[in-house]
Amino acid sequence: MWFSEAGEIVEMFRSSFPLSFLFFVPIIILISPVSPVYAAQEFNVYRMQQFDLQGSSYGCKNSLVNMEARPIDAKMLTRRCVVARLRDVTMPKFRDLLTQNAGALLVILPENLSDLSSEEREHLQSLERDLMAEETTLPVYFAPETPELQEIYEDLVHGASGDTAATAWEALLSSATANGFQMVVSGAQSKALPEFQITNIQGRLSGHGIEEQLPTIVITAHYDATGVAPGLAFGADSNGSGVVALLELARLFSKLYTNSRTHAKYNLVFLLSGGGKFNYQGTKRWIEENMESTDSNLLSDVAYVLCLDSLGAGSSLHLHVSKPPREDSDGGILLKNLETAAKSQNPPVEFSLQHKKINLADEMLAWEHERFSIKRLLAFTVSHLSSPKSLDRTTILDTRDRVKPEWLSTNIRVVAEALARHIYNLTSQGDFTLFTDAVATQEEAETAWLEFLTAQPRATQLLPPESLFLSMLETTLSRYLKDVRRHTFKADKRDPEFVFYTGAVYPMNAFNVKPAVFDLFLAAGIAAYLAVLYLAATNFHLVYSGLRKVMASSSPKVKSN
Amino acid sequence: MTFFHFGNCVALSYVPYVIVYKCSGLAEYSAFWKCVQAGGAYLFTQLCKMLLLATFFPESAAAAGGLDVTGEFLKCTVDLADLLGLHIVMSKFAGKGQLKFMIAGMGWATAELVMTRVVPLWVGARGVEFDWKYIQMSLDSNVSLIHHISTAMLVWLYGRSDLQKSLVPVVLLLLGLACYRPLIVEILIHAVGLGSWMLLMAKAAFTSCVAMVALQMYLGIPSQLVNSHY
Repeated sequence: MWFSEAGEIVEMFRSSFPLSFLFFVPIIILISPVSPVYAAQEFNVYRMQQFDLQGSSYGCKNSLVNMEARPIDAKMLTRRCVVARLRDVTMPKFRDLLTQNAGALLVILPENLSDLSSEEREHLQSLERDLMAEETTLPVYFAPETPELQEIYEDLVHGASGDTAATAWEALLSSATANGFQMVVSGAQSKALPEFQITNIQGRLSGHGIEEQLPTIVITAHYDATGVAPGLAFGADSNGSGVVALLELARLFSKLYTNSRTHAKYNLVFLLSGGGKFNYQGTKRWIEENMESTDSNLLSDVAYVLCLDSLGAGSSLHLHVSKPPREDSDGGILLKNLETAAKSQNPPVEFSLQHKKINLADEMLAWEHERFSIKRLLAFTVSHLSSPKSLDRTTILDTRDRVKPEWLSTNIRVVAEALARHIYNLTSQGDFTLFTDAVATQEEAETAWLEFLTAQPRATQLLPPESLFLSMLETTLSRYLKDVRRHTFKADKRDPEFVFYTGAVYPMNAFNVKPAVFDLFLAAGIAAYLAVLYLAATNFHLVYSGLRKVMASSSPKVKSN
Repeated sequence: MTFFHFGNCVALSYVPYVIVYKCSGLAEYSAFWKCVQAGGAYLFTQLCKMLLLATFFPESAAAAGGLDVTGEFLKCTVDLADLLGLHIVMSKFAGKGQLKFMIAGMGWATAELVMTRVVPLWVGARGVEFDWKYIQMSLDSNVSLIHHISTAMLVWLYGRSDLQKSLVPVVLLLLGLACYRPLIVEILIHAVGLGSWMLLMAKAAFTSCVAMVALQMYLGIPSQLVNSHY
């Protein structure tokens, strides 16, 4: 009976063509595999930052895109991937995209970020600041311009002109001939990294005498960088230059400290801190650990803390303090030394003291030294920037070309001289240069370090403890310093101060697609072609007889044979 | 693109086969099963060819993108086996001459269509990306239908004893041309740099010329002049 029923079903399909058609087509559609990815264009796109800091979220929450592309000035942007050049993206326009419920935004950055005009730089930097000020659900991507991307963009702008056609027929035609693009970013949605560890690396040089009784000078620089897209944050000046300066200081003073005649009576502690762009999380934890723990006497007798931040993209130097130091204190002496050292350079380096009180109401601290100042440690930051509000510290424009090795080298020399004058008590000795010959600063080595630091993006979330970059820093420090240690920490589980998310770089596919109208046109064309073919086939005897006539007239001999 | 696009491509490549089958009189002789047998013969011939190629023609280390004329020539020579296969198929079938080569050509072309076009269309034409090449592929399958039928016709003509002796070299030449068609196409692509649409047009023109000449010779055979049913 089972078989007879099956036979009936088969019979049913055989008798009715439309029924079987309706039955099989959906099945075929269902069983057909998920459309395979054969993209003509594939390029890397850099997603906007996404992180939670101190309880509030920043950046873009989503990462997946599978939408048709549109230029930014198109009328209909709902559920579309907007592709725009950097100069066309403004904050009002961005808000407009949000209200129109656009699906995604792809910003095409100029090919070479270093030759932007100053207006364009300003535009990009303020855009970065405004984008990062709040949270958005719109996936925002950045991509450097390539010839392929430019082609896509031009096609898009050209294709969108159909929206403004005069007649409906023209609009239909232009939509049928237009080249559309489907932008696809697939993979997993970005997800939180609650277990992410931020790494600090510390090392020390012990002074001459009983170590516990000597005052300590802490020299610190944060090694991470930031920008609107973590995958593009190379941070050459902020804070690649600070790291280079710290490494150079470590090298110079390790040389001096190995010689018993130049072994000073100060302990030097070097700290490369992580999470600096996220309100100096690394520094904060490091201070807490060293203050709380009873066995560590690292911070028991600190003369002062010297923070190095952004030393390479300007020729002047500024000492940022939270409280002006008294003249006879260690801080006052260092200030005086810095002034003399800056003056003794050739040409003299402009130097000034910048005083800014800590504003505890602010969400973000202005400088790294404020972390120490809060804990009542004498601390200051050396930087070529005169104001902490400068956007140069948080931009993707901070690339290798921004840092001039000469400036960096001079600034390092000034800091080294000032430090040396202080720890060897040479303040009143007048004008002289200490770091020459065997202990001179090496500009080539500094440049090489800068190249290494800017060879990869250094956003905090891209530098987990196991990253090669951190082990490289650690190895280098341990070449010069003693007792080099890593110190890693996680955010608190219940009330995390910072949460990072996966997904900085994604491959984006641009599929060349045609609108549905085009398929209709094509179907009509094919139907016409088949009709012609059918007519030709049914009237093939005409061809026969025609050929036969030709043959009969040309070679009558054939018949007689 | 979409499933609709796939449907378009399938219609473009398969419907002409159906039209030819219905209109050439094959349907009236219920030659469907014989066509399937011819298709089986096609499969067997391809298997033999592949064995031959794999055994005697090692992968030549020609530079990628370059044209390896000798290698291609040798490969096309193996295609002579196709002609042999067609001949055997036709010698096995009883029936009128016209029917014989129609069955062989139809079966051969259909088998080739199923074997070489279905999967690329299924995978490619349904992808997100739009490309004209699937439409071109479908049109190309129409051209190859004409090609296979005319080849079968030529093979059949060659086997006829009442073919004019003066026409034998012409038949051989055309057979050679049909056989070395892929090589000629390759050379055309490299030498002239034809675009894909021009190449398709050239193929169509070339094939229809061969077909017209073959048809004329076929009509020149005395028996056809006497008992043609038109």
